[in-house]
Amino acid sequence: MVYADPRLEQIKNTKFDAFTYTIEKGKIKEFAIALGYNSKSYLNGNAVPPTFPTVVEFWGGQISISKVLGLNLSKVLHGEQSYEYVGVIKVGDEITVHTEVEEVFTKAKMNLIVLKKKFMNQHGELVLISRSTIIERH
Amino acid sequence: MTVSRHLETLQKEEITHTQIVRYAGASGDFNPIHTVVPFAQEAGLGDVIAHGMMIMGFVGQAIEGWFPSDRLENFTVRFKAMTRPGEKIMINGCVTDDAGDQLHCEASAANEAGEVKVEAKFTIRIQR
Repeated sequence: MVYADPRLEQIKNTKFDAFTYTIEKGKIKEFAIALGYNSKSYLNGNAVPPTFPTVVEFWGGQISISKVLGLNLSKVLHGEQSYEYVGVIKVGDEITVHTEVEEVFTKAKMNLIVLKKKFMNQHGELVLISRSTIIERH
Repeated sequence: MTVSRHLETLQKEEITHTQIVRYAGASGDFNPIHTVVPFAQEAGLGDVIAHGMMIMGFVGQAIEGWFPSDRLENFTVRFKAMTRPGEKIMINGCVTDDAGDQLHCEASAANEAGEVKVEAKFTIRIQR
């Protein structure tokens, strides 16, 4: 495939350094309160809410994906998000995340970048797959 | 789409600037289009917008109210419209297909005017 924007050719093959994040009660509580949840198990930080992986994605990696990919933050939107719950993530788990660009394409004056993240626990088990579609407006 | 079963609507409180700032801190997504008004204005958005993931989080809360949380197999959303402070989001859902060991479901998050912000699809694992 030939891209109109030559930068996409480079983005296509990007793999990011893996990072590890420990699932903490306090962080779950903070997240549950921010969302206005009323479930006790989330407010006590005893269970992991379905979209908590986003916390792992943002707080776990010390690198800015936008920076690495050369994206302009004022032009970037989140198009789609998908989680496959392959296993269970528990409080105290040490989750290692492997990130790669799975797909890049251009559509209607927008660049679309699909990031795939594999979440592995401390036992080496795959527990979650996250796919984010980032839209970069031209 | 065949609707076999409607699920109970979840009505959320009005979104405030403070909640968006709180969500930024909790999630770690500090893109200034969500929190810094002059930046959002310069980006052509008029005002800050809520994180799409915050609205997905609302849908997650609804799912947790509908089914045991350990049964959620996959959860996908498409972000359709931007959400701003002052909007009140309502989540509606339904079971669209009973596939034996799985329930296929859909949900949407919309404001009071009926503008859809997020369309969601999710699958629940069931034991028979």
